[in-house]
Amino acid sequence: MRRILNIVRRDIKSGTRDWLVIYLAAAPIMFALVLKMLIPSVGDSTLNVAVYEDTPPAVISYLETYAKVIEVVDLDERILRMDDVFGVIVGDSGIEIVAQGNEMEGTVDLLKTIVGRYENQVIDLPIEVEFTDIGWIMSPMKLEGANLLIIFNTILGGMLILLNLVEEKMSNTISAINVTPTKRREFIIGKGFLGFFLTLYGGAAVVTILGFEGINYAMLFISVFAISFIGAIIGFSIGVVSDEPISAIASMKTVFIPVLASIFGAIYLPTKWLFILYWSPFYWAYDVIKEILLVQATWGQVFKNSGIILVITVLVFVGLRKKIQNGLS
Amino acid sequence: MIKVNGLYHSYSKDENYAVKNVDFEIAKGEVFGFLGPSGAGKSTTQGILTGLLPIQKGEVEVVGYDIRHPKREMFNKIGVSFEQSNVYGKLTALENLEFYRKLFDVETMKSMDLLKWVGLDHVANKKAGEFSKGMKHRLTFIRSMLNNPELWFLDEPTTGLDPAIASQIKDIVKEKNNQGTTVFLTTHNMYVADELCHRVAFIIDGEIKLIDSPRNLKLQHGEKFVVVEHLENDVLKKEQLSLDIDQDKARLNEIISSGKIEMMHTKEATLEEIFIKVTGRGLE
Repeated sequence: MRRILNIVRRDIKSGTRDWLVIYLAAAPIMFALVLKMLIPSVGDSTLNVAVYEDTPPAVISYLETYAKVIEVVDLDERILRMDDVFGVIVGDSGIEIVAQGNEMEGTVDLLKTIVGRYENQVIDLPIEVEFTDIGWIMSPMKLEGANLLIIFNTILGGMLILLNLVEEKMSNTISAINVTPTKRREFIIGKGFLGFFLTLYGGAAVVTILGFEGINYAMLFISVFAISFIGAIIGFSIGVVSDEPISAIASMKTVFIPVLASIFGAIYLPTKWLFILYWSPFYWAYDVIKEILLVQATWGQVFKNSGIILVITVLVFVGLRKKIQNGLS
Repeated sequence: MIKVNGLYHSYSKDENYAVKNVDFEIAKGEVFGFLGPSGAGKSTTQGILTGLLPIQKGEVEVVGYDIRHPKREMFNKIGVSFEQSNVYGKLTALENLEFYRKLFDVETMKSMDLLKWVGLDHVANKKAGEFSKGMKHRLTFIRSMLNNPELWFLDEPTTGLDPAIASQIKDIVKEKNNQGTTVFLTTHNMYVADELCHRVAFIIDGEIKLIDSPRNLKLQHGEKFVVVEHLENDVLKKEQLSLDIDQDKARLNEIISSGKIEMMHTKEATLEEIFIKVTGRGLE
């Protein structure tokens, strides 16, 4: 343990000398803040509606059931601002929806459904329809963006491991450590520690900044911890054979392809085609983290997905073990 | 301290051996020189002895440990100084030593004392990346002393250093040896080997050609000559005379009797000359 902490302290000291650790530690926070700023509705409830001050109270009351309603004097000015706010005008010919055109996809349809139900409530239907759920629990951009950032952090963690190893390779100091009583596993744990920490800390930073409330942090911790291994293994496998940071980072960037393919595949592929992503640990991570963020995950699902991630990780490790061992010799 | 028996090593894992059938033993307190040109197999042998290279064939025992099944605690007893300086450039000299110091389980020397020993104490808090080549080399060298090793591996400890620093390094090696440290010295510098080693091994093409003390080698393989510069009829003459040939001995006496000697010195065979004679190859 003493040697592991010594290696971790050395990496922190060395990393802070050229701001590497600072940059990588700040990255998840910066990404989350940028996401929060650039996407106006990311932290909001699903729907924001502006109405004229003379709008009938019954309409306002009805809309408040599903949306945040603000009363304004200049409706156009309010709608034209950067954020996602629709205008609702009650006129002689019925209710009109005014949109700026840059609102989040699908939200206008949602508002149409809500307004339509109000306008048609007097129609005597042959069946009785109860309107209880509009199907949206959370802003999709907030959900998917946070999930992407959390998984992206595993690559940042791997990158930190990689850069620390490249420093060792460049200065040929692994040989010097190999002639001390330091055990191989102590060196690996010491070198991997900051990568794991960055991934876990990054995940916590993302959910905190983006305002996820009521999520089970233990579930999130276990799932992120499981996916951290794959980032660490990739970091080690590239780091031990690279003696130059630029080429090492370039190699690491190729990992973004399976990460992005897995996440966007999971978002856009129909359910029947999802099996083509089953090879990817990032898909399983995305799958379970999404449920955790929606506060719908069960422990069974967390253990199942984490187990699959770890099995895939072991297979990847078996494939890369020789390369890593040789690089550390 | 070291027992090597039938050691072979091939990087390509075929019959192309970098080291073949190497046998030798080193006693406690000895300074043993491994002398050979670049690519002779010196560093490969040291790599195997220090566990940096896997043992493929043969038996090796280092400070009582079978190197085929090495234990990490073995490294509390040995120190390794590398030919190429390998220090953390972003850390200061003091931080470099402190980091390695904490990796050992035994009592270690104080980092500042070591830095003082090689004249680096005034730059203790300077980043090693800003050091000159010689300073980095000295830092690498003293790092190998941190754990007060019983067995000290030195790979080309004076190569590329200016004469003053090289002399300082040699003095430290002598002092540590006087305190009981066994030294395995790998070098292609015959002067260093001659000055420091109790015994030397000549290695070439992966094979040890002979092992003996520098003195014995000079007695066995060298010829005793005296070079005399003297005035004869006001003309400066230079003669090389053998101390084993009667005619030359008589001539030497004649010159000495004439009393016009300007300069006279013995000329023994150097280790390099003996190496060339024995192996047919130079040391560079």
